[in-house]
Amino acid sequence: MTDRPMAAFDDASLEGALRSLATAIDWPTAAPAAPSDVAAGPDVATQVRVRLTDPTRRRGSRTWWRPAWQPLRRSVVLALAALLALAVVAGAVGLGLPGLRFIFGGSPTPPTPAPTVRPGASPTPTPTLPAVPGSAMGLGELVQITEVALRTGIAVRLPTDLRLGAPDSVWVDEARGNQVAYVWASSGALPETTERGVGLVLMRFDGTTDPGFYEKTIGSGTHLEMVDVNGHDGYWIAGDPHFFYYVRDGERFVEENRRWVGDALVWSDGTTTFRIESALGRDATIAIAESIE
Amino acid sequence: MRHGNHRPPAGVGVRLSWRAVHIEDAELIARARSGDVTAYESIVRRYQDVAVRTAYLICPETDADDAVQEAFLKAFDALPRFREGAPLRPWLLRIVANEARNRRRSAGRRHGLALRAADAAGPQPTTPGPEQIVMAAEQRSELLTALNALRDDDREVLGARFLLDLSEAEAAEALGIPRGTVKSRTSRALGRLRVTLGPDGMVER
Repeated sequence: MTDRPMAAFDDASLEGALRSLATAIDWPTAAPAAPSDVAAGPDVATQVRVRLTDPTRRRGSRTWWRPAWQPLRRSVVLALAALLALAVVAGAVGLGLPGLRFIFGGSPTPPTPAPTVRPGASPTPTPTLPAVPGSAMGLGELVQITEVALRTGIAVRLPTDLRLGAPDSVWVDEARGNQVAYVWASSGALPETTERGVGLVLMRFDGTTDPGFYEKTIGSGTHLEMVDVNGHDGYWIAGDPHFFYYVRDGERFVEENRRWVGDALVWSDGTTTFRIESALGRDATIAIAESIE
Repeated sequence: MRHGNHRPPAGVGVRLSWRAVHIEDAELIARARSGDVTAYESIVRRYQDVAVRTAYLICPETDADDAVQEAFLKAFDALPRFREGAPLRPWLLRIVANEARNRRRSAGRRHGLALRAADAAGPQPTTPGPEQIVMAAEQRSELLTALNALRDDDREVLGARFLLDLSEAEAAEALGIPRGTVKSRTSRALGRLRVTLGPDGMVER
């Protein structure tokens, strides 16, 4: 036994002390201490099997034992979202939702509005596509995918959805919450978004969608729907183009050069927030989101 | 939530042959993917204790059991996306950790997050492992208090590496951070633990 104060331990000694501590912690267990301990109830494995064989279980469904206020909250949120769409006529109205704060009203004029050219929409000659998909989007610095982890300390997590393949460009902007953006060019499988030549954008950045952190300005032509992304609350935002903002410490600053954004899916996983911009529609976009590994 | 089992659970501190476990996991995964719930139950039973410990490190104890059950249900649904040949334990623990973080965030508080000693005056293990240090009960209590005082990231990485005995690679996968970050964060967390244990730290003696 050591008499040395632990504050004087080197790393190896502290590690040893922690390993020793592991044996002294009152760990909860997943199973009864003995098979005869029926009062303790079934173990986790048994409970999981029972739930998996429940004919009423929906694949990927929410937990059925959660308090009843959760579905109520969702209903209330959707009802409020619909109600507040009416408030557009009364001018700008602020709404605090769990996760995102939406401001309804006239969309601010972007200083450099991006052209929203859609296939077949313009009789004018097609402008030359950017050499690198996403280069007109102000996503930060173009990097190789192998540089992402070195630059940001963040492991690359990409959708495994087969229609995507490897991203066509990768962008990093440490100043915007360690933001990493993966861009896929438009193709037969990926219809063009509001960005010319871009079929899908996956962005991740540090931060949760806690109230007040993330803000979005939408108008009456933009529709909001709360969705489930692998068990996480998400928002599918579709319709007219709109803007995204960050808000920190009550001081607003504009993200992404006030870029117009088309249909988008936003969700948080732990302390990371993801966003996918895609013209594939809600269900296909959620499927891509849920294939991220 | 049950307590009192201080034996190393399967998957925690028991050095089974990795290859043997891996092969058996692969067989069970293949059967579970085809809908064999009994095979999946065997997988859950193998990793349920380390899963519960992982959740207990991250979220309030009262939520740990639910977090683990929900994680195993999601993992079952996600099995088709599990990369063949990859180790199963850290993949499962990552889903557990995500679920536990969700509950911690929902709780909006740290209340109930503290790890507890089984018995502060209890006996030291009679045969500590080669990497363990023999400590008096007061020292264990002091160390536990300091560990509980650390911020979540620090506590999670130290817990994963030294309480759950995960390798750096496993901890990286389970916590969803690069392996290099595990190394650097562990080093910084040990430094902060040392400061917390020091005369200016917040541990009462």
